[in-house]
Amino acid sequence: MFYRQSGIYHTRYEATRRLWPIPFERWQVGVILLLVLAAPFYLSALYLQSYLLPWLIWSAATLSLTLLMGVAGQLHFGYAAVMAIGAYSAIHLVRFGLPFEFAFLGAGLIAALIGCLFGAAALRVKGLYLVMATLAMQYLVDWLIINVPAISGGAHATLQAPSARILFFSLENDLVRYYFALAWAVLLTVFLLNVKRTSFGRALVAIRDKDYAASVIGVNPFRYKLLAFFTSSFLGGMSGAVLAFCFYRAVTPEQFSFNVSTQLVAMVLVGGLGSVIGAFLGAGFVLLAPMILTNIVAMLSDFGWLNVSVNLLSHLPLMIYGALILGFLLAEPLGLAKIYDNIRNYFLVWPFKHSRR
Amino acid sequence: MATTAEVARSVALRCENINRWFGGLHALKGPDLAIFQGEIFGLVGPNGSGKTTLVNSVTGFYPPQKGRIFLFDEQINGLPPYRIAQKGVARTFQNVALFRGLTVLDNILVGRHIHMRPSALATLGYWWWAKKEEMAHRAKVEDIIDLLQLEDVRDEPVDVIPLGLQKRVELARALAAEPRLLVLDEPMAGMNQEEKEYMVRFILDAHEDRDLTILLIEHHMDVVTSICHRVAVFNDGVKIAEGEPRAAINDPAVVAAYIGGSDAA
Repeated sequence: MFYRQSGIYHTRYEATRRLWPIPFERWQVGVILLLVLAAPFYLSALYLQSYLLPWLIWSAATLSLTLLMGVAGQLHFGYAAVMAIGAYSAIHLVRFGLPFEFAFLGAGLIAALIGCLFGAAALRVKGLYLVMATLAMQYLVDWLIINVPAISGGAHATLQAPSARILFFSLENDLVRYYFALAWAVLLTVFLLNVKRTSFGRALVAIRDKDYAASVIGVNPFRYKLLAFFTSSFLGGMSGAVLAFCFYRAVTPEQFSFNVSTQLVAMVLVGGLGSVIGAFLGAGFVLLAPMILTNIVAMLSDFGWLNVSVNLLSHLPLMIYGALILGFLLAEPLGLAKIYDNIRNYFLVWPFKHSRR
Repeated sequence: MATTAEVARSVALRCENINRWFGGLHALKGPDLAIFQGEIFGLVGPNGSGKTTLVNSVTGFYPPQKGRIFLFDEQINGLPPYRIAQKGVARTFQNVALFRGLTVLDNILVGRHIHMRPSALATLGYWWWAKKEEMAHRAKVEDIIDLLQLEDVRDEPVDVIPLGLQKRVELARALAAEPRLLVLDEPMAGMNQEEKEYMVRFILDAHEDRDLTILLIEHHMDVVTSICHRVAVFNDGVKIAEGEPRAAINDPAVVAAYIGGSDAA
């Protein structure tokens, strides 16, 4: 309806492999990018800091996890632990005196190494057993952080993120924090989009889909599973550091508990396994839906349209939220990304439905 | 034993005394095999005679517990499958084993894996570090798409195209690896007469175009007798006949193995 594929002819291989081969969609992406770049100038500080900023950071984390779960097909139920390692490493490295840029890289590296340690052990097993192994990582890392005072500063302690500068800008500034998180999300988006068109990404998908066929065509399955763990943990650790420095500003072990891991898995699943736009939609849904639902329910009861006990009132948003997730996954197991895709494909040929192959 | 003509040609694949057990089942009882460079070599035999087990030994899935395998005089038994693939062996599977999450084009591009340098960093800097390589390999893949006439389905996801085409895509993926030895495990299973004829044509084209040595497992005797230079007949883990297709298939031992001879109980 809004744009069509007809009349767009690619005459070079490069053109068919562009990130967005349809010109209109390039414009779309450009407009969205402009909107988020200009967000601080038209959004109130509240919306920017408590909605858009966490959305961007959690989308980045979801993108890192979907590389492992969606693209490479390795389940990970301890991803919050990976982010925790990144967050705590970054804070300690900055406190140690390292410039933030290096601490940021170091956080990713430490998370990747520890993630790989578990990955290597875990990769001998598949499916549900891998879930168990990653769960073990979650609880082990949780326990270590809480019980080693050198890391957490003691049980129930809060570790303040030290002041740091990224390039020449101080992270004390709200705007700098926003733009840093935005840049990180954009970088990860570009990476994940590129994964879908390079030999690296194809090898990961190959081991996900049929590992014996992958090995017979020359892909070393163990190496690529480990690479997936390494890359994903690296990015996840750095996302954890971004979360600590740009959003939480002070970290406690509870911020990276098992609940958070399940939430991340939910973001990946609700958004759509392996999908880039799905990571943003999934993170947005899991993060914002409970808040919005709470607001709606509160508003309805203020109007007097919802005469239920206070107890039920506080649980109602969660119940609707759960029902929505179930509903979405029943209607479209491939997540919000697939729903978006269906709508897009419908309008691409509307009203000439028969022309769709 | 070998005639002078055979000595002059180099041996692409040599199997010596291959033994493979699955628990108590002795699936391969020490057959020897030599396939010459440039040959289309047929492997036939009743179900359960050890054909696929032999192929799995060659590609490294089930390494033989006894015996040796040489690819162009280089010992390859004991190597993991991906190392054997890097040495120049590619295969297709009896039941199609394509990557369902990828398009036809991407499936064939995976076949180029051993010739490419995949890296996460190059992926991030696609425009500077990966694009040129991707495009060069795309051109090679397009040659294969052209050879096997897959242009129409290039951008389709593999699980929506019919079985005959899927088998052709699998052949394309194997060809993309530019193998020295191509192993085809029942490429015509489940096909109708027309698809079969197409497949034969594609195999002959590929053989001629790419200077291949082909090891072909096939149950359709018309196919085997018309395109293979030599065949070996297996029964119960042993080689019971070998030679020019018609002669081998009419060998009394082979007839006995297939339909039961006078000396069979």
